[in-house]
Amino acid sequence: MNVKEYISSGIIESYVLGLASPEERVEFERMCDSYPEIREARDAFELSFEKNALSNAIEPPAHLKNEIFAKLHSEGNNKQTDNSYKKENVVAPVVAMGWLRYVAAASIVLLITSTLLNYYFFTQYKEYSAKYDQLVQNQTQMASANQTLQTKLQDYESALSMIKDPAMAVVKMPSIPKGPNPNSLTTVYWDTKSKDVYLMVNNLPQPTSDKQYQLWALVDGKPVDAGVFDVSKDSLSFVKMKNIPRAQAFAITLEKKGGSPTPDMSALYVLGKVS
Amino acid sequence: MDITPTYNEQELIAALKTKDEQSYSYLYDNYSGALYSIIKQIVLDGELANDVLQEVFINIWRKIESYDATKGRLFTWMLNIARNASIDTIRSKSFQNSQKNQELSNNVNVNSSISNQTILPDIDNIGLRKTLETLKGEHRILIELAYFKGYTHEEIAKIEGIPLGTVKTRIRNALLQLREYLK
Repeated sequence: MNVKEYISSGIIESYVLGLASPEERVEFERMCDSYPEIREARDAFELSFEKNALSNAIEPPAHLKNEIFAKLHSEGNNKQTDNSYKKENVVAPVVAMGWLRYVAAASIVLLITSTLLNYYFFTQYKEYSAKYDQLVQNQTQMASANQTLQTKLQDYESALSMIKDPAMAVVKMPSIPKGPNPNSLTTVYWDTKSKDVYLMVNNLPQPTSDKQYQLWALVDGKPVDAGVFDVSKDSLSFVKMKNIPRAQAFAITLEKKGGSPTPDMSALYVLGKVS
Repeated sequence: MDITPTYNEQELIAALKTKDEQSYSYLYDNYSGALYSIIKQIVLDGELANDVLQEVFINIWRKIESYDATKGRLFTWMLNIARNASIDTIRSKSFQNSQKNQELSNNVNVNSSISNQTILPDIDNIGLRKTLETLKGEHRILIELAYFKGYTHEEIAKIEGIPLGTVKTRIRNALLQLREYLK
């Protein structure tokens, strides 16, 4: 093809203005590589077009430069991480800005509102959760207090029924004359049917931790072990002792912890005869 | 106080490729007006033109590595980015919808968007559009459709109801007249 003809065919203008088809572009670029004069003609048209465009420039709004450069700046900071991903998204977001702007603004308002509500509800939740925990704790405390009372009541009831029982022999055991503690007093409730022995401590001094009181039944002048016991603070509680089929009297001595086979008569506290 | 450097085209391209922000500032100061002018001539709306100009600069920043100086001047390359972005914008759905609404509310029966544009004399008097005024009517419409609307020759033949060969000849003649005018 004649180069001069090619130059004046309009292809240069068509190429520069972006009106050439892809095939025409490829061909034109090849022609430019082969014929410097085509390239020169292209340069000349580009330059005259550029001059015309520059002399017809319209100043964009002043605020735009800062906005654009803020964008470019954040682009620059992101470019190492996901450049390829960004290239895909070049056109759509900007084009759609007209109405998307309002959607974006609305969604930000919604997000803020939702965040505030979330915070509010979370605070409320925490407050009620704490209150609920407190209530559960109170309830547990009351339930256990109630149980303690119930147990006590049952103790009292069974004590009372035992005292009321006509088959029950009551043996009062006051302090022996010149005993270790003159205020000592205990009571044995002896079931004459079952021969079970229950001991109530009315008043006995608290022994040291290495010692324990021991109840003895005096059978035909001989002491028979009826068991050791601790002194409870609750004076109304009964301690079930060993079963004693026959006895004329009961006595309590202070022995070493666990009890002794024979009583230490020097530590005799109380004594009561069966009437 | 920064001293803004001046660049020749090779220096500018080299600096742009290193993503040097100062060179983009220089680019903006020297070329944004010319690009904005073309964008406005296509989208015909100030707000949209702002959005498109922003998009164009981001694209220049992102695509500068692919710019090949042997295929044309930097300005030509940027101008084509601006033109493509502008045409994409006027072809987007949201733009088409807003145009439709405008036409309805104005209650004006406009068959061709070309006659619509003559309503905007300030746009007609700038840049390439002013140059178009010097062209014959039949040439003018074709350049309008091809350059400002981005239609292919085949599409133009269909729209105007003239043979494809005629479209090509007229566009070529129009472009050659344009070259004479720009000389």
